[in-house]
Amino acid sequence: MRRILLETQGEVSPVCSKSHITYKFHISEPGGKLCIHFAYGPKNLEDRELSKTLVYESIEKYIEPSRRELVQAKWESYLPLKNLITVSVDDPDSHRGAGHRHDPEQLLHLSMKDASPGLISGPIHSGMWEVTLSLHAVVTDQCKFSLNIWQEEE
Amino acid sequence: MKWIACELHSHTFHSDGRQTLHELAAGAKALGFDCIALTDHNTMTGLMDKETVQDETGITIISGMEWTTFYGHMATIGVKEFVDWRPVGPGDIHAGLKRVHASGGIAGMAHPFRMGSPICTGCFWEFKIEDWNDLDYIEVWSGTFPSIKSDNARAFQLWTDKLNEGYRIAATSGRDWHVQSTTDEPVSVTYLSLEEGDAQATEKAVRAVAAGRASVTIGPLLTMDIVCGGSAYGIGSIISREALEFGCSVNLFADFSVRQGLWELTDQTYSLRVVGNTGIIHECSITRENSYCQFEMNGIEAIWARAELWGIVRGVHVLIAFTNAVYFD
Repeated sequence: MRRILLETQGEVSPVCSKSHITYKFHISEPGGKLCIHFAYGPKNLEDRELSKTLVYESIEKYIEPSRRELVQAKWESYLPLKNLITVSVDDPDSHRGAGHRHDPEQLLHLSMKDASPGLISGPIHSGMWEVTLSLHAVVTDQCKFSLNIWQEEE
Repeated sequence: MKWIACELHSHTFHSDGRQTLHELAAGAKALGFDCIALTDHNTMTGLMDKETVQDETGITIISGMEWTTFYGHMATIGVKEFVDWRPVGPGDIHAGLKRVHASGGIAGMAHPFRMGSPICTGCFWEFKIEDWNDLDYIEVWSGTFPSIKSDNARAFQLWTDKLNEGYRIAATSGRDWHVQSTTDEPVSVTYLSLEEGDAQATEKAVRAVAAGRASVTIGPLLTMDIVCGGSAYGIGSIISREALEFGCSVNLFADFSVRQGLWELTDQTYSLRVVGNTGIIHECSITRENSYCQFEMNGIEAIWARAELWGIVRGVHVLIAFTNAVYFD
């Protein structure tokens, strides 16, 4: 039986880069498997002019003046610029891992028996859990995401 | 003291790597490494099979995690458990460092001058450092054939600047190894000098990095031993001005026998230098067949010194190897 714990959708913009969004939700019945489906999009920034502007801003910020022209000449090698949002999980008592990877859609799970790579297997306690979305970069004007969390029998 | 060959920056599929821990360790073994640090992004679950993989491959595996934050990537090694990176803002890295140290680990800047967000999120170090004594090391060489990369030249210069300011900070290399793919580029090795004793090899390796008992190379292992008045000092040591008054003998050696057949340099005459904040202290020429250099050092103004091996690699005059510093106090 699937017990839905959280269903949400959202939209973030570039100003949200370098921020976290934490969802807190309650598990009333311990045990079973906790499943998390997270997806976001678009992944890539397709706007070529905006991409060029962002790459040039990065060159200005991160490259020493003597090499800037050289790096500007190969600005296209940095394309496509990508949104990056990662997921981490905390149970009522401790951290339960993170899925730091670039896939824009991830189906994660954790249970007493096992867990998705990056997440920590162990008891599914009752109490307040947290799923945190870490917005490493949002480069598109809008980036939509959905987060669905449910509990099911193992 | 025993030197072991280490790769201090690696990833598995538990973050964004495309390899298992076993594949990583077996790959490291094939390249002549004795030791790896697994530094997955923001998770330590890749270490689950650590004991089994160590037994199967003979590779020592150091527990670690790369803090993959919005303001810098920080390699942490020797940590016993997850230390949370998420509360740290651009002005809070010292609070994070304190927690890493409390967990038994040490921390170093990873690829501090790699292009940052949004091209490589958080890759450029933007954390404000109030006290450089809190940071244990700088990964001054990142990636393969690191000595030709401009980002690494900046990191190396940053390390040198901090040594000049009087900080005692270690320098390492890290491939940032994500996948088992062959490369024809030179691979760097951080050799660590382990102390004798009963502690675990992983613990000894972490202590060696913290103490700067490290020598970094894309070829031969470069060592420097200084003997002053009958006492011997290795890389990472602090030599008092009183000891220097006895007059010191500096012994440099490039060991071309390490990782035999796994790296290649054309026959040539190399330049072996001892440099410090006062510039070049001594310079000699060596070859593969005659790779010792010794000189007497009487009185020294410098506050630190390291050895550097320079030569031609793939047609370019580059730094081939360097030791961590010896300090004069």
